[in-house]
Amino acid sequence: MHAQPAPTALIADDERLVREQIVSRLKAAWPELVIVGEAGNGSEAVAMARSLEPDVVFLDINMPEMNGIDAARALAGQAHVVFVTAYDQYAVDAFDQGAVDYLLKPVEPERVARTCRRLRERLQQKPEPMDGLLEQLAQRLGGSGKPREYLHWVQASVGTGIRMIPTSDILYFRAEDKYTCVQTARFEALIRKPIKELIDELDPKEFWQIHRATVVRVDAIGEVSRNFRGKQQVHVKGREEKLEVSRSFNHLFRQM
Amino acid sequence: MEYCGAVGLFWRLQSHERCNGESMNDDPSGTNTGSATGQGTLAPASRRSEARQALREVGSAVVSLWWRFFDWLAVVSWKTLLGVSLLGLILAGMLNSAEPFLLIVVASFIVKVVAGGKRRAELTARLATQRAETEKLERMVLEARMVALQAQIEPHFLFNTLAGIEQLIQTDPPRAAKMQQSLIRYLRSAMPQMRDGRRPSLGQQVSLSSAYLEIMAERMEERLEAVVNVPEGLKTAAFPSMMLQTLVENAIKHGLQPKAAGGRLEIGAEIVDGLLSVYVQDNGTGFMPSSSDGVGLANIRERLAALYGGRGELIIGVPPDGGTRATIRIPYEIAPDAA
Repeated sequence: MHAQPAPTALIADDERLVREQIVSRLKAAWPELVIVGEAGNGSEAVAMARSLEPDVVFLDINMPEMNGIDAARALAGQAHVVFVTAYDQYAVDAFDQGAVDYLLKPVEPERVARTCRRLRERLQQKPEPMDGLLEQLAQRLGGSGKPREYLHWVQASVGTGIRMIPTSDILYFRAEDKYTCVQTARFEALIRKPIKELIDELDPKEFWQIHRATVVRVDAIGEVSRNFRGKQQVHVKGREEKLEVSRSFNHLFRQM
Repeated sequence: MEYCGAVGLFWRLQSHERCNGESMNDDPSGTNTGSATGQGTLAPASRRSEARQALREVGSAVVSLWWRFFDWLAVVSWKTLLGVSLLGLILAGMLNSAEPFLLIVVASFIVKVVAGGKRRAELTARLATQRAETEKLERMVLEARMVALQAQIEPHFLFNTLAGIEQLIQTDPPRAAKMQQSLIRYLRSAMPQMRDGRRPSLGQQVSLSSAYLEIMAERMEERLEAVVNVPEGLKTAAFPSMMLQTLVENAIKHGLQPKAAGGRLEIGAEIVDGLLSVYVQDNGTGFMPSSSDGVGLANIRERLAALYGGRGELIIGVPPDGGTRATIRIPYEIAPDAA
C-alpha cells in the first residue's frame, strides 16, 4: 500500500471570519486535508486555484470581482467545487439535483463531516464539468447570460452635479447638438451623448422616437393633435410645449 | 318631461329678461346686436357671419347665466327661495306682470326639486371620490410598509452575521460579544417599526443604521470605513422608517461589497433650503444604469410621494470621484415622539 498524496483545498469567501470558520470545521472533520490557500474574491480564487491546483475549492457564491458561479465555470473540470452560501432557496434546490455539494452559513460541523465523506469518495474520480447545473444556477440567481438590458437610469448633469434619473421620471429627450436634453416634471438635465446613440439603449416599449430630434416616454403622452399645417403634435402630460411628430413617425399614432 | 319643459321655459324667460329683448330665434336678419349694426358698410355675406358670431356669443352668455341660476337654485334654501319669490311677485304685481312671474316661480320650484337631487348626487359623488382617494393613499402606505417589512431583515445578513459571531466565539470572545450586542441593537431598533406605524425620528433611523454598519465593519474588516455625520440637533426631526436603512444596505450591497478593495460610506444630514436633506454616500463601484434595482428605491419614491406629495424627493447623484450619493429631501418637522 503506497501513501497517497494528502488531499488539498482552497477556500474562497470575501469575509475572513467565514473563511476561518470553514477552515476550523474542515480541520476537525478531515484532519488530513491540507488548506493550501484562502481567497477574498472570485478572480483571486480562480488565479490561486490555477497555480496551486487544489483537489477541492470551497466557493462563496456572493463574492466581489467574480461571483462563485462564474469562478466555478472558470475552474470546470479542474477541481471539485463545494459552494458555500448564506441563504439561497433557489441555489439549494438546484444543488439537490446536481453533482456538487453545498454548505450553508453558519457552517454546521455535522454538515461539514457529511460533505467531507462525499468528497473522499469523489476524489477518486475526475471533477465533473457540471455545465448544465451552473447554467441553471446562474439563471436562477439572475447572474450572467441574461437577455438584453435596457437603461433603467440615465446619468445626466443637472447644474454642476451629476444625477442618476430613473427613466420612469423622464418625460422626453430632445437633441441639442452633440448632447441630449432630458426633461422631467421637475427639471431639465443634459446628457453627453447624441440622441441617436441613446435610442439604442432605451426600451422601445417605454420610449418612442417621434422625430429625428425627439424621443418621448409613451406613458407621458397626454394627447396627439394636429396643428394648422396639419402636422401631428404630441402634448406631454403636465407640460405646455408641444412636440412635433415628423412624417416618418406618423404611423405610431395612426387611428385604431 | 317636466324637467325639460321647465328648462325650456326658463330658457325663454331668461333670455327675455336678461338680454333686453334680444330674440333667440334663428333668423339672423332679426337680430339687432350692437356689433352688427356698427358694421353697416360690410358686404352682406361677411355681415351675416358677423351677426352669426355675435349671436353665438350671446347664446353662450345666456347658457352660462342659466347654469349659474340653476346652481343657485340648487343650493338656495327653500325659505330664501320662498321669500325671494314673494318679493318678486309683489314687485311684478306692481308692474302689472304678475302672471308671467308666477310661472317663473312655479318653474323655479320644480327645477329646485330636480336640481336639489342633482346637487345631492354631486355632493355624494365628491365625498365618495375623497374617500376613495384616502383609501388609496392608506393602501399605498400600507403596501409600502409591507415591502419595507419584508426587506427589513435580510436572511443573508442575518446568517452571515451569525456565522461571524459563531467563529469569533472560538477565536475572540470579546469581539464576539461586541458583534452580538450590535446585532441585538440592530434587531431591537428594527423590530418596533414592524409593529406600529408611529412616526419615527431621524435619530432612531440613524442608530438602526449605525448598528448595522458596526456589524458590517466587523465582517468586512478593513474593506469598510463607515462615518456617521448627523448633527445632534437634527436627530429629533421626523424621518420615515427604513428609508435610510435601504439606502445604506444598497450602498453596501451594490457599491462596496462588489469592490474587492471596499471603500468608505458616509451617512450625513443637513438643512438645505429649509428642507431636511439626508444622504448616504459611498465611493464604491457606482450605479449601473441598466440595474433595475429591485424594489428598494422605487419603494422609497412611492412612499415619499404618498407621504409628502411633491415636497419629498429621492435624488441619486454621482460624486466627482465616483461612487453613489443618494439623498432624501423632505420637509423639516420635529418627530412627535422625539422628546
